[in-house]
Amino acid sequence: MKTCIACGMPMKEKADFAMGDESKDYCVHCANEDGSMHSFEEQKEAMTGFIIKTQGLAHEAAESAALSMMRKLPAWKEGLGVREKGLGVRG
Amino acid sequence: MADTRRLQKEQTREKIVAAAIKVYSQQGFAAPTTAIAGEAQVSHGSIFVHFPTVESLLICLLDSFAQDLTAELHMLSESGGDVEKLLAMHVDVLIKYEGLYKRLTKEAVYLPEEAKNTFIAIQSTVSIHFWQALEPEISAGAIKLVPFHMLFNTWLGLIHYYLLNGDLFAPRGSVLRRYKSTLIECYMALIKK
Repeated sequence: MKTCIACGMPMKEKADFAMGDESKDYCVHCANEDGSMHSFEEQKEAMTGFIIKTQGLAHEAAESAALSMMRKLPAWKEGLGVREKGLGVRG
Repeated sequence: MADTRRLQKEQTREKIVAAAIKVYSQQGFAAPTTAIAGEAQVSHGSIFVHFPTVESLLICLLDSFAQDLTAELHMLSESGGDVEKLLAMHVDVLIKYEGLYKRLTKEAVYLPEEAKNTFIAIQSTVSIHFWQALEPEISAGAIKLVPFHMLFNTWLGLIHYYLLNGDLFAPRGSVLRRYKSTLIECYMALIKK
């Protein structure tokens, strides 16, 4: 079973994949309307928002947790250290 | 030969993680690594061959707990479980890790940032499944109008209160095992219209 490279969600059914395309490595929740994958900033905002909605954490704490989760995901772990140091890798 | 060595290495690593879970559960996260080495029956230096820092050991055992919990949650969601089944499964996994989880609720504030965030990530995984199980009942108007995070935090609050006061509620044995059905029944009665 594939796991979304951007959020870690297991993708079991066709509907779980971006645009219903099972060749994609990311899920429906991590895709923009045109089917492209969220940028780094969009994903950080989405994950932070989700943590606030489900656990009610303060924005700062939620964002720190979101970045920590992203650090372990294939789509982000390569460049995250560079991004966090503000060295200008595009999201 | 190389395979045997790799297997031995994996077994030692597993022994260290299991020992760390036991020692941290009993003594808290400030327990010395010598105690973990003693429990695992490995040399002290062996711990640092597998885990360069105490923090990496801590993250590894939290990940092991998270994987177990996630596997159970996925199995439940595939079988189409409702809220009560989800709560029961949540308590069952926590019973398995009761000592460690109690320490986490008690000492999370003192943990390194990365370990703290891993704990939040664990709760995040639970909350996703909690939401999936609860959403149909919210849509059907069967649940009181309360923000979702308060529904989730109220459940965690109940669990954490009983865990932290286990010496009062269940001086001998598992407080979660003893109060599992009471906690689930009362929580459902609190949130249902």
